[in-house]
Amino acid sequence: MAVLMILWGQRLRRDRWQLLSWILGIGAFALFAASAVTQTYGNAASRAEILQVAIATPAILMLRGLPRGADQGAFTFFLVYAFLALLAGLMSTFLAVRHTRADEETGGAELVAATPAGRLLPTIATVLHGAAANVLAALAVFAGLAAQGLDLQGSLVAGAATGAVGLAFLGVGILVAQFISTSRGANGVSSALVVLAYVLRGIGDATGTPHADGTSMTEGAASWFSPIGWGQQTFAFSGNRAWPLLLPLGLGVACLGAAWAILGTRDSGASVWGARPGRLTARPGLRSPAALALRLQANSIIGWALGGLALGLLAGSLGKAIAAVDTPDTNITAVLRSILQSQGTSLTQLMVSVLFSMAGILAAACALQAVIRLRQEEAAGTAELLLAAPVGRMRWLAGYLVLGAAAVVLVIGLTAVGTWITLTGSGDQAMPADALWQTAVAQLPAALVYLAVPALVFVLWPAATIGVGWALLGLGVFLGIFGGMLGLDQSLRDLSPFTHTPVPHGNATDWSGAWWMLAIAVVAGALAVAAMRRREVGAA
Amino acid sequence: MNTVIQTVGLHKNFGKVRALDGLDLDVRAGEIHGFLGPNGAGKSTTLRILLGLAKATSGSATVLGMDPWTQAVELHRRLAYVPGDVRLWPNLSGGETIDLLSRLRGGTADAAAYRRSKDRLCQAFDFDPAKKGRAYSKGNRQKVALIAALATDAELYLLDEPTSGLDPLMEEVFRRELLAVVERGATVLLSSHILTEVEVLCHRVSIIRAGRIVDGGTLDSLRHLTRTEISFAADGLDTASLARLGAVHDLTFDAGRVKFSAESDRVAEVLPALGALAVQGLTITPPSLEELFLRHYGDPAAGAESGARDDDGDHRHGARRHLLGARGRG
Repeated sequence: MAVLMILWGQRLRRDRWQLLSWILGIGAFALFAASAVTQTYGNAASRAEILQVAIATPAILMLRGLPRGADQGAFTFFLVYAFLALLAGLMSTFLAVRHTRADEETGGAELVAATPAGRLLPTIATVLHGAAANVLAALAVFAGLAAQGLDLQGSLVAGAATGAVGLAFLGVGILVAQFISTSRGANGVSSALVVLAYVLRGIGDATGTPHADGTSMTEGAASWFSPIGWGQQTFAFSGNRAWPLLLPLGLGVACLGAAWAILGTRDSGASVWGARPGRLTARPGLRSPAALALRLQANSIIGWALGGLALGLLAGSLGKAIAAVDTPDTNITAVLRSILQSQGTSLTQLMVSVLFSMAGILAAACALQAVIRLRQEEAAGTAELLLAAPVGRMRWLAGYLVLGAAAVVLVIGLTAVGTWITLTGSGDQAMPADALWQTAVAQLPAALVYLAVPALVFVLWPAATIGVGWALLGLGVFLGIFGGMLGLDQSLRDLSPFTHTPVPHGNATDWSGAWWMLAIAVVAGALAVAAMRRREVGAA
Repeated sequence: MNTVIQTVGLHKNFGKVRALDGLDLDVRAGEIHGFLGPNGAGKSTTLRILLGLAKATSGSATVLGMDPWTQAVELHRRLAYVPGDVRLWPNLSGGETIDLLSRLRGGTADAAAYRRSKDRLCQAFDFDPAKKGRAYSKGNRQKVALIAALATDAELYLLDEPTSGLDPLMEEVFRRELLAVVERGATVLLSSHILTEVEVLCHRVSIIRAGRIVDGGTLDSLRHLTRTEISFAADGLDTASLARLGAVHDLTFDAGRVKFSAESDRVAEVLPALGALAVQGLTITPPSLEELFLRHYGDPAAGAESGARDDDGDHRHGARRHLLGARGRG
């Protein structure tokens, strides 16, 4: 018992900041969602209106959840539950893999297994640790909702649903870790399962049957194949059912049982599926630093690009649905306008612009990641192998910048293609095609700033690349996207590149911001490449 | 061109730390040049400057007639480098990494010859190229860099403690390959802190300590630096009878033992005299780098302790040999 406590203590110690941010983040998410509902949709009539829009728009149902009435609590649960469950699921799978497979991969598990803790106790400690984290996450959701004055019992059920989904994926994560030999692979598979659960629930909700009251629905069959869908079946606030919680909890226990059986027979460090053998020889194309950069980052770029495509598909389908409602909710358009600081465009155009600004953030993050990869290569020492070959420092940097720029164009391009598909598919005439392409092109300069400026930081102050890079992106999003909503001063909002992204409307579009940002990106990129000539390369 | 590497008054400062302090190195064409020194003496820093990965604070470095900092790319076409601690891309297989590095160096124009050479080396080093980078042990990571360096011809090989992590069998393979490379006319700069490795392979050595070359020359000219420790039980022996031993150094009586040292190349001359004395509990300890530094350059630990970036495995190794020798006497 004492040994178990030591192992648990070590896990708490390792995770204290990370778990604290996950749990507080989940709680804050619930709190802000409930508060936004109170402020924006204060009366039942406006909530009913929104629910009618939602029921008519499969994309919204897919993203949000299953409407179960216009009651304030039920409405909040509809808006926020699926996100909360997604977060709890990801928190749990990452936690599970971090303390099982990742430890085995780095060799830490072997050190521990050689002590009286043995081979099995560390996994029990991980289960204990993960269970505690999910109980805390459930309490955080409860506290966040209850703090906004929502019904206590409903808040408790909503929290329990979130925590139960987290526990299910704790089991899933630990089971996946038995099968896959690398922590990267185990994280990828188990978090993909979380996302799959979210999507299955979404498909089920989108294919549900509306009730006569126009504000509630019965889910489609797909929801019943998803742990997140099970949690939703608690119908917090409107039904407060406890029995559906048995499903995710049962899945968690079943996964843990299976993992335990495998753990009992496998060697420490081994996995059910061995590592796939690699290639004996490299592909013919792998012969330049840029090709290597592509090889190393292809998977993450594909991920960002698919995110852009999904956003685009959503963007094209939203406008018409909202416009179809007789009395468009003025609050929605007001919020959208404050993000974009723009007037006089159609609602469809406004929706597309807002979702494209999200795609712009995706592209910026993708660009930033290319630069961060550069720094990671340097810090890991692999850059040295490359630069000791006939590869110039400038060429090495330039290869990553070219790849980053191409990835930005790909993410935005796929967003545009997705939008175009759903726009034409739904027969929405409110937005001409050239306005769509202009909106897409308008996102490029800001994203390119997030390629070039971090690259300059990488050359001049390498150790700060990762921290400064993410901080710049976070500040840019906060000031540029939310600044208007929060009523921040214009001079502050002007600091963010996203503030200067043009919003095309007809011939009156002001492109000056785009040109300025493009100029900044080109100058910063050129400076970075030029300064790289004089820079040493090393882990320091 | 007779001189392949020449540095004059090379200085390198990291903040207040002086890593190189006026280093003069001279490596001639066609030789295996041992670059010998304790951990943290500045060996890796020197190699990084010779590669143009780091810039000298002052002083000059010329490699194959070029300035490594400004002409790095051109220079790297003609050399191969093996780092002391090889890091690999975790999701690239060993075979892929070897191919990539060889292609970057432009050594794969004759695809068939390259493939033959790579396959032969993989076999010689008993290396499995199908595993992912993250799955290799330290020795196997070292093999990736060694095979990539040896699979294509270079004029100059810069090797930073290349055998760390290799087992003795593989060290032997490495020696064979290195001799073949020199046979072909290439030049090798071999950094090491293992004296015996340098002794077996190198034509000339430079000894670095605290950022400067403290001694150098052919191995024969440095033979005086290596002495072998000999000790045996002192029972019934006196100074007079020991006088017959001849050319011995530092003769002492201590705790019932006689200890002295002899030049390593003259140990055989002492043995008949020891036989005539019928000494008991004889131990003969080969010279270690620590002793060499202790004897000739004062404090041996100064270099090792400032060397935060390397492991100190071989210092312990040396110490263990002493312990074994001490136990052997009982």
